[in-house]
Amino acid sequence: MDSINSLFLVCGALIALSILASRVSSRIGVPLLVLFLGLGMLAGEEGVLGLKFDDYSQAFLIGHLALAMILLDGGLRTRLRTFRVGLKPALSLATVGVFLTSGIMGLLAMWLLDLSLTEGLLVGAIVGSTDAAAVFSMLKGQGVNLNERVGATLEIESGTNDPMAIFLTITLAELLTGAVGGIGETLMRFALQFGLGLAVGLGGGWISAKLLRWLDLAPGLYSLLALALGFCIFGATSAAGGSGFLAIYLTGLMIGNQPGRHLNHILPVHDGLAWLSQIGLFLVLGLLVTPSEMVDYALPSAILGIALIVLARPVAVMVSLVPFFNFRWREICFISWVGLRGAVPIVLAIFPVISGVENATLYFNVAFFVVLISLLLQGSILARVARWMRVVLPETTTPDRRGQLGVLPENDYEMFVYKVENESLDDVPIRLLRLPSGTLISAIFRQHAMLHPKGSTRLRMRDVICLIGRTGDLPSLNRLFNGEAKLKRERAFFGTFTLDGEALMQEVAGAYGLTLSPGEQEMTLGEFVALRVGGHPVVGDDVDWHGFHWVVSEMEGNRVTRVGLRLYH
Amino acid sequence: MMTLESILPPERTLFEVTGGSKKRLLEFFSTFIAQNTPSLDSHEVFSRLIGRERLGSTGIGNGVAIPHARSPHCKGPIAGFMRLEDAIDFDAIDGEPVDLVFVLLVPEEADDAHLSLLAEVAGIMNQSSVRHQLRQADSQRALHDSLIDAIRHHRDSDDG
Repeated sequence: MDSINSLFLVCGALIALSILASRVSSRIGVPLLVLFLGLGMLAGEEGVLGLKFDDYSQAFLIGHLALAMILLDGGLRTRLRTFRVGLKPALSLATVGVFLTSGIMGLLAMWLLDLSLTEGLLVGAIVGSTDAAAVFSMLKGQGVNLNERVGATLEIESGTNDPMAIFLTITLAELLTGAVGGIGETLMRFALQFGLGLAVGLGGGWISAKLLRWLDLAPGLYSLLALALGFCIFGATSAAGGSGFLAIYLTGLMIGNQPGRHLNHILPVHDGLAWLSQIGLFLVLGLLVTPSEMVDYALPSAILGIALIVLARPVAVMVSLVPFFNFRWREICFISWVGLRGAVPIVLAIFPVISGVENATLYFNVAFFVVLISLLLQGSILARVARWMRVVLPETTTPDRRGQLGVLPENDYEMFVYKVENESLDDVPIRLLRLPSGTLISAIFRQHAMLHPKGSTRLRMRDVICLIGRTGDLPSLNRLFNGEAKLKRERAFFGTFTLDGEALMQEVAGAYGLTLSPGEQEMTLGEFVALRVGGHPVVGDDVDWHGFHWVVSEMEGNRVTRVGLRLYH
Repeated sequence: MMTLESILPPERTLFEVTGGSKKRLLEFFSTFIAQNTPSLDSHEVFSRLIGRERLGSTGIGNGVAIPHARSPHCKGPIAGFMRLEDAIDFDAIDGEPVDLVFVLLVPEEADDAHLSLLAEVAGIMNQSSVRHQLRQADSQRALHDSLIDAIRHHRDSDDG
């Protein structure tokens, strides 16, 4: 009985400490995941608690569970409309990119660690995939708003690149233990992994989404059912020889993009589950390593970690993106920098141990160093690199809180909560506010008391306002509550003047005395800018032409609807 | 060198203009500027200004609009400023009604100097202190003085 009690105590204490550590992380500038890792090591066999934990098969199970939950959450949060710009580049990175990263890292590992080719490549495969959960939690914490092309590419890449790394790792591990079949069999398995993962994930995900939307459950059960269905799909796909990780990501994607009230109940819980998974994974890794054993690998692994950042990742990104897609150089640089390694290499590093590869702890220790260096170096200056590379959009006002009303299953009415921080709204009666039609101020809170808003009620600074409106009204509401400072930053980015994307190029040229080539006469401004940007434009793209910066400032699907005119000065 | 100060004489700073609507206001200004500057044709100016508005409102937010256009009969850049009695709807970017209107007319041939004039006007009108001063002015004279102050101040801070 004692062991059970101490298990509760230790697990509880470690998780609680990790969560408390998250409050400190942003203040001392150490990436959160590194803190979890450090806590695990502190509790570990050579730390203060001296816990002896070297049960790799248990760690393997925890790893799979955690990874599945992280990917499910990642899918839930990926918006299908970002596929417009992000899908193809992300898939290129997730396949060609992982292959190349693994290859380069493999050759380096072979040389640095004095391994055979296969062993080296196994090291490469283990550290081949990126972890966006890490990236996005860091960026969000630092208030960085990436442009859609970069954001979507990174997000989808990290959701889809794990199957490739897993496939490579398993194949190479089997090659080392002599359990591998012929080339035909390997290719067959490759096709099965991706084909089944794709088919079962999309199909099962679609059914799950419909089911979740149709069912009328107690609020707490939606997220549980989503998790359970996700696990079913994960298990079924894996058992049939497909990639369960790909399948559960796609399941999340399908569920997350089925609008309805069930999402209100699912998203917050899964956010917590994804956090728990991250914490669990990194704690377990910290517990699992034996620092004194790692010393031998420290130097070569550190070099590998740095080579990953400055060589393997940039080369992989360039080869997978530059020839096929229209990325700017600064975007390529940023994507190269954001090759953060996280949970996946840790789980993959356990594969060789489980499948009985010779000298298996080597892989684990090397993966540990590479992840650590990646998180420390790439992670800690992520936000600064984003600003240097100018892939960031100006921060806009967003509601302090929002939530779907969930009265009707299909409706999109939400409650938005804003704080009045804009001086120009001070002392303005409500009836003079330019609210979008169909929105309603339902309550005003001032000095801890609720006021009943009337047309004549005057707003004050620091009032908290509850509004009910449609999701589509959000941009105009945000604009209404935008403070002076934010408005200035937005203007500095998008330019003082805004032109309609539907305006004819001929007329724009007439107004500003610009010369057009014959083909450009008939275009609208939106088409013209899209053409100059090349590929799929995103908000924030700009073109230098005739002494102006023409900045895409609003899009609807693939159409540029507003173009900012920034003057050089 | 064509400075903003030199193209905005006191008589083109109009105080307490009755706006009515965006179209009316631009009509009013076109008539006024054609009387003020004989080489200009009021219909021509109006159609140029309204043509520019059709591409997207020049209301830049915070109650400010900067209508601008090129005109073939313009010998050099011409600026005019109007403070409206009552703010009018201008389809501005932030949806707020407009009460401060800075008009800029430039000659036909495109020139970087004209773009930098436009950038200068935008830079001045983007300052909340300037907008406050302009709204506080209690006479045409005071309005013109505040404008010139703002222009000089902006130029100095730019050079420095």
